[in-house]
Amino acid sequence: MNRLISGKSFIVLIVLAVVLIFFYPRVMDSYFLHLTIAIFLAMILASSWDILARTGQVSVGQAGLFGIGAYASALLYQWIHLPPVLGILAGGILAVILAVGIGYLTLRLRGIYFSITTIAFAEALAVIWLMIPDITGGAMGVSTPPLFGGNRILAYYLILAILALVIMTVWLIEKSRLNFAFTAIRQNEDVANVMGINPTRYKVLAFMISAFFTGLAGGFYSHYNTYIIPYEVFGLNVSIACLVMPIFGGLYTILGPVIGTILVKVIEEFLRVTVPYGHQIAYGLILVVVVLFMPDGLIGLWKKRIKPLFLKKSSVG
Amino acid sequence: MNDKILLSVNGLSKHFGGLAAVQNVSFSIRQGEIVSLIGPNGAGKTTVFNLLSGVFSPSAGTINLDGEDITGKRPFEVCQKGVGRTFQIMQPFPQMTVLENIITSSLFGRVPKISLSQAEEEAVELCKLVGLGDKQNTFPRNLTTPGQKRIEIARALAVKPKLLLLDEVMSGLTPTETIEAIKLVRSLRDKGTTVFLIEHVMKVVMGISDRVIVVHHGEKIAEGTCAEVANDPKVIKAYLGEHAEDTKESMC
Repeated sequence: MNRLISGKSFIVLIVLAVVLIFFYPRVMDSYFLHLTIAIFLAMILASSWDILARTGQVSVGQAGLFGIGAYASALLYQWIHLPPVLGILAGGILAVILAVGIGYLTLRLRGIYFSITTIAFAEALAVIWLMIPDITGGAMGVSTPPLFGGNRILAYYLILAILALVIMTVWLIEKSRLNFAFTAIRQNEDVANVMGINPTRYKVLAFMISAFFTGLAGGFYSHYNTYIIPYEVFGLNVSIACLVMPIFGGLYTILGPVIGTILVKVIEEFLRVTVPYGHQIAYGLILVVVVLFMPDGLIGLWKKRIKPLFLKKSSVG
Repeated sequence: MNDKILLSVNGLSKHFGGLAAVQNVSFSIRQGEIVSLIGPNGAGKTTVFNLLSGVFSPSAGTINLDGEDITGKRPFEVCQKGVGRTFQIMQPFPQMTVLENIITSSLFGRVPKISLSQAEEEAVELCKLVGLGDKQNTFPRNLTTPGQKRIEIARALAVKPKLLLLDEVMSGLTPTETIEAIKLVRSLRDKGTTVFLIEHVMKVVMGISDRVIVVHHGEKIAEGTCAEVANDPKVIKAYLGEHAEDTKESMC
């Protein structure tokens, strides 16, 4: 477990940052920039889902947190004209508060109960939203003016900043004692407990971190999209997307959710224009293929099957 | 050894439905003692350990560690109060290396908390102590049964326990390994750790223990030195069975 970032990856990181900050938004046309923003948004969702998954908890209700973030920032704009950036932050914070509540109630339980509760949580929020249209806008949804006056490059920078924050958080988790707590709980909660780890506490903590970024993503989405309705932001589609991408890419890694998202989104974009609802079929197929043939995702496939092919010479002896 | 009582257990009981796995068991262990808990299969030995380490909360009775009531405390709290334990069935974290397994224990079992680098240093030392120095970076599945038991011991030691609970760490070891293990337990005691162990290997029990506690059907039936216990008619009848005389010979 080496603690410092190696020189090589540091250079890669600098180059990547320069390209993403200075060149990418200038050379891309509006459509590709929009696609990139959608991909970055999805990466945030995927990476934050993976943070919680590191403790062995499968959330199938990230849409609840996403929707809360989206509605918080949209409604705060509508009510008091809170600037979008602050609204997005408020969305993240509100999602954390909800996560603490749900977490302390359900993360004490083992196994599937938490997953079931999260589905119910997201679905219940959608129903509640329809029941109080005076406050929430009901089925008609809420609209906000375009983010940064419709300047896509600024929107791109904002989502890039949030994504960078998520990746950095995951990296810090991996280098800290949290990684040991999360991994231990995932692999054997009882033993972790006997070794001095309070499982509930760390699971709730992971859920809070996950909720914060998912809430931010929701807040960004509402302002960027200018229009949200309950069945979209609280929808099961969002929750499923959150888990398909990291599972495809490779769980409990920094790069897994990122690579998984890129591929899923590209497949999805391609299918969207060719087959109606094709992306939903793709989600199902990806899950089946991954579970059956590559349980460690693309990252695992790379490490186990493809990388050894290149290393054949040096690995002898 | 001094006379300070480290652990005192009073009227401890645990019922699972109608079954009394442990019934009204009382005993105490002085600081620096090595005490064995023996009894036939299903006597409730591991249940006693699970009660002591907080895995189960008792149906009745109290557990007092170093002057503090720890009855009903959760496992991680009990651990942080200074109880380290091993599991009879080895349960290393499979996706962590041997070293990472031990680091995890050092990181969270200690009060006050220590830094990651300090935990790593200590874990390296512990690896050497239990004889896993050259296996630090392998995964537990690549180790033999004794190897995995060493991980268990190292993890339990990593919390710097006042009281070390060893659940059958010596069964399945070769005679040479057993001798090594006994040496290890003795050296731990010499450093001030109190050891409470469940053991089936009579040679070990008799060779190592200051005192022996015998349980049968969840009740304590005898307590005393090796010789006292071995000559106790109740123990001979209940624990040693029909061939009591032969077994007794081989015991002491």
